[in-house]
Amino acid sequence: MDSSIIRQLRKIAGKDAVLDRPEELMLYEYDAGVDKHRPGAVVFAQTTQQVSQVMRLASDKKIPVVPRGAGTGLSGGAIARREAIVLSLARMNKILEIDVANQRAVVQPGVVNLELSNATTKFGYYYAPDPSSQKACTIGGNVAENSGGPHTLALGVTVNHVTGLEVVLPDGKVIELGGKAQDSTGLDLTGFFVGSEGTMGVVTRITVKLTKLPEHVTTLLAIYNTVEDAANTVVAITQSGVTPAALEMLDGWMVRCVEANVHAGYPEDAAAVLLIELEGMRETVNEQAEAVSAVCMQQKAREVRHAKDEKQRQLLWLGRKTAFGAVGRVSPSYYTQDGVIPRTKVPYTLAEIERISKHYGLVIGNVFHAGDGNLHPLILFDSRDPKQTENSRRAAKEIMACCLKFGGSITGEHGVGLEKMGLMTAMFTEDDLEVMVRLRNAFNPESILNPQKMIPDLHFCREITGPLPKAKFEPVAGLPV
Amino acid sequence: MSTVTSPASVDRELAAIVGSGNVRRTDFEINGVVPAAVVYPGSADEVGAILHLANARDLVVAPAGGLTKQQIGCVPERIDILLSTTRLNKVEEYDPGDLTIAVQAGMPFAEMQRQLGEHQQWVPCDASSLEHATVGGLLATGAAGPLKSTFGHMRDFCIGIQFVTADGKVVKGGGRVVKNVAGYDLMKLLTGSYGSLAVITRANFKVFPSPRQTRTFACSFHSLEEALQFRTRLFQSPLTPMCMEIISPGASEYLRNQGTVRDPDHYSPEQPVSLPAVEWQIVLRATGSDNILGRYSRELGSAVTRMLEGTAEEEFWGWICHFEQSVLARHRNAMVLYTHLAIQNVGPALQAMQRVAPDYNMIPAAVGRAATGNLVLALMPLSVDPPSAMQYANCVSALRGMLPPGSSAEVAHCPTEAKPHFDVWGTTPTDVNMMRAVKRAIDPKNILNRGRFIV
Repeated sequence: MDSSIIRQLRKIAGKDAVLDRPEELMLYEYDAGVDKHRPGAVVFAQTTQQVSQVMRLASDKKIPVVPRGAGTGLSGGAIARREAIVLSLARMNKILEIDVANQRAVVQPGVVNLELSNATTKFGYYYAPDPSSQKACTIGGNVAENSGGPHTLALGVTVNHVTGLEVVLPDGKVIELGGKAQDSTGLDLTGFFVGSEGTMGVVTRITVKLTKLPEHVTTLLAIYNTVEDAANTVVAITQSGVTPAALEMLDGWMVRCVEANVHAGYPEDAAAVLLIELEGMRETVNEQAEAVSAVCMQQKAREVRHAKDEKQRQLLWLGRKTAFGAVGRVSPSYYTQDGVIPRTKVPYTLAEIERISKHYGLVIGNVFHAGDGNLHPLILFDSRDPKQTENSRRAAKEIMACCLKFGGSITGEHGVGLEKMGLMTAMFTEDDLEVMVRLRNAFNPESILNPQKMIPDLHFCREITGPLPKAKFEPVAGLPV
Repeated sequence: MSTVTSPASVDRELAAIVGSGNVRRTDFEINGVVPAAVVYPGSADEVGAILHLANARDLVVAPAGGLTKQQIGCVPERIDILLSTTRLNKVEEYDPGDLTIAVQAGMPFAEMQRQLGEHQQWVPCDASSLEHATVGGLLATGAAGPLKSTFGHMRDFCIGIQFVTADGKVVKGGGRVVKNVAGYDLMKLLTGSYGSLAVITRANFKVFPSPRQTRTFACSFHSLEEALQFRTRLFQSPLTPMCMEIISPGASEYLRNQGTVRDPDHYSPEQPVSLPAVEWQIVLRATGSDNILGRYSRELGSAVTRMLEGTAEEEFWGWICHFEQSVLARHRNAMVLYTHLAIQNVGPALQAMQRVAPDYNMIPAAVGRAATGNLVLALMPLSVDPPSAMQYANCVSALRGMLPPGSSAEVAHCPTEAKPHFDVWGTTPTDVNMMRAVKRAIDPKNILNRGRFIV
C-alpha cells in the first residue's frame, strides 16, 4: 500500500496502531472460514473519532475498508477482498456502562461477547446471544453478522437484543440509531442495520439489552439409536408447546469426535444425541423437563439423562461448544455449513446429507441448532488433495440446494460474506437484490465499505452453475456491474 | 376538506389493471383529505402495475388495510390513490408443524389468529382494533399491545416479507424459516414504516403455541412512586409475567364497559360516570399451570387487590387494548401520544403528563407497558372553552420538553385542525437524515404517503 497512506493512518491512530509488513498482514488474511486474501494495511482504531478519520481518508482516496472484530466469522465477512485497509475494532474493547435499572449495557464494538455476560451476572443479568465462538468473538462482529447461538431459540438472535448504535458512515459522518429505549419514533434503522455485514457503516458503540438470569436451568441429554428418531423428536418437541431455551443435536460421528476431545459424557455408541436446555421459573422448568422427557421417550429415545448438578450441565455444554475444535483434531480441514430448513424437514434433510456424504466419499458430521432448523454440517476433507477440496465444495453446494428446495435459507447465522455471495441469486431475484443495493447505497454509495460482499455483482450472477436453481438475469440500468 | 378529482384517463388506466369494479370513489377522509380514487388490486403484480402508473404520473398513493390507523400522521397535501389491500386476504401457506404461516397483507389479523387458534397457536400481538386491522397494516404501523412486554412486536415475528416498491417492483426479503440472515433485514425496515417505503403484499410469521391458562393480578398503589418501586421488585424477582401494564388514576374511567356512548360533543370528562380513581395500578398477566400461577399468588401476596380469570380477564385485557379507542369514542377532541422510553423513564414521563395536562386545561390518562416504556398517553381537553390548536401545540411541546433525553413521543391522534401547528412525529434518537436517505433510495419521487410520515 502507498506509503503516504500508511503515514496518514499512523498519524490518525498512532505509530503502533498500523500494520503494513507482509509478515504482519498475513495474520489478517483469513477468518474462521475458507477464503484468504491479504489486506494492504491493518489499522487499530481506539476511538470513534479515529474511525471517522480513517473513513474520511479512505473515502477521499477511494480505498476500500473492511471492518474487523475478532476474525471468528465463517463467511469471509472480515476478509479484505482486494488491496484494502482492514479497520480493526479489537482495541475498542471497553464496556462503557452497565445500566442495570434500564436493563441495558453500552459497549464498544471490540468487547468480547462472553466478557459482557461475565461482567453482568453479578447483577443478576446476562447478554443472551451466545455464538459458539463467544469466548473470542466481539459484539461489534455479532452486530454485523446478526449472530445467533444455541440459546437464541427462545430468546432471539442479536437483532432482538440491540436497541442502539453509534455508526460511522463511509464519509466519516457519525450518526446515532436508537438508544436505550426499546424502540423509537420513525424507521427502525437499528434493526435494519444489524446483520448488514459491515456494508453500511462501522459500528463504534452498541447499546444492548441485558436479560434477567433465569431462576432455574436444567439440561437434558436424550440418547438415540437412530438419527431419524432424534430428528422426529425435534419436530415433536416443537409441536408440544414447549419452547426450550436451546435444542441442539449432534450425530453419532460428532459425539465420538467430541468425546475423544473433552469427555463430555456423551455415550459413544449413540447414533445421535439431543441436548435440551430448559430455563425459567423453577416450577416451569420442572414441568417442562417432565413433558420433554416424555416426548423423547415416545420418539424412541434410548435414555434421557438429566444433568445432576451445574458441573455436569457445564460439561454437557462443553461438548457442544467445543465440537468444531474437536473436528480440527481429526481432520486437516473442514468446511462448516450453515443452512436453514423448516423444522419438520429435519429428518429428510439429514437423510439427504447422508446420501451426499456417501456420494462424494466425504465424512460429514452434524452438530446444529435443531430447534431452529439451523443445520451446521461439517464437511471433512484434506485441503492438500485438490479432488477432495473440489468435492467438499460440491457437497456443500448440494446441501444448500437441498435447504433451498425445502424453502429454507443459505445462512441462518454465519452471514453471506464472500462465501455465500454466489448463492444469493438462488434465494433472491435480481429485483430483490437491486433493492438491497439501492438501500446499501443510501449508507455506502461508493461501496468503500466492505465492497463486493453479501450482494453479488450482477455480472457474477450469470456465472452461477451447478445443481442450484438458476436465477433469471437481466442487467439493470444504473447499477454498478 | 379538499377533494382531488383524478383525471378520467387515470381511472381508465387503473380500471385496465384491476377491472372497473375495483376502482371506486370514497368519502373516507384522511385528516380531512378525501382520496380521489380507491383501487382494490387482486395480486402483488396488480399492485406493481398500479404503482408503476402512479410513479410515472406522479400520483400520491396511500396504502391501506382495515383503515384503523389512517388518521395517524401529518395532514397530506393530497391523495390520488388509496390502494386497498383488502382483496389480498388469503392464507398462502400454514404448516402447524413448522409453526410458520404465510399470509397476504390484506388478511384481517383476527381471521389469521382464528385459523392459528384451531391448532392452539397464535401470533402474540394484541394491538387495538384487531377485528378490522389487517396483517399488512399492523406491520406498517408497528402496532403492539400489552404482549409486547414478553414477545416484542410484529418485527420480531415477521420472518419474511413481500412488498412492492414505488416503481412497481415486486420484491421480497427473508423467507419461511425462523432463522435467516441472508440479505438485509427488510422485515425490520418495513415494520413501522407507515406505508412510506413500499406496499406490503405478503408476510410470513413465526407463530407460537398459545398459552393454555392465564391469570391476571391487579395491584393498586397510592402513588406513582410506590407503583414503580413495586415494578423494581418484580424485575428483581424470579417471576416472569407475560404482561406488565401500568395504569394511571385517570385511565380507570376508560377501562370498563362504556354502555351507550354519549354524544362526544356534550361529554365532559370532568364529570366522569364513576367516582374518580386516585390509585395507580400495576397489572400482571401470568401464564402456566395451577402450580405456577399459585406461586405468583404467593409471591405477590398482599400487593394483589384483584385477581381475574376466564371471561372477566379477557374482558379486562380487551379494555386495556382498546383504551385509545374508548378515549376517542368519548372525546372526539382528545389527543393521544405513543411514547418510546427507557425503562427508568416511564416514571418521569408519567409525572410530566400529570404535571403538564392541567396547565393546558387537559385531563390526563395513561395505560402502557411498564417493562418496555411504550405508553399510550391520552389528554382530554376540558370543555371550558372550545379547544384551540395552540392548546395542543403548546401542551405537546411542554410534555416533550419534560421527557428525558433519548425519549420520543409521537402524536397518534388529535384534531386535524391542530396538526399543522406542531410536529406530529417529534424528535427521535435515530438519525432522521438517514431515514430520509433510505426513503429516497426506494421511493425517489416520494409518491408513497407523501408528507404524512416522518420521512
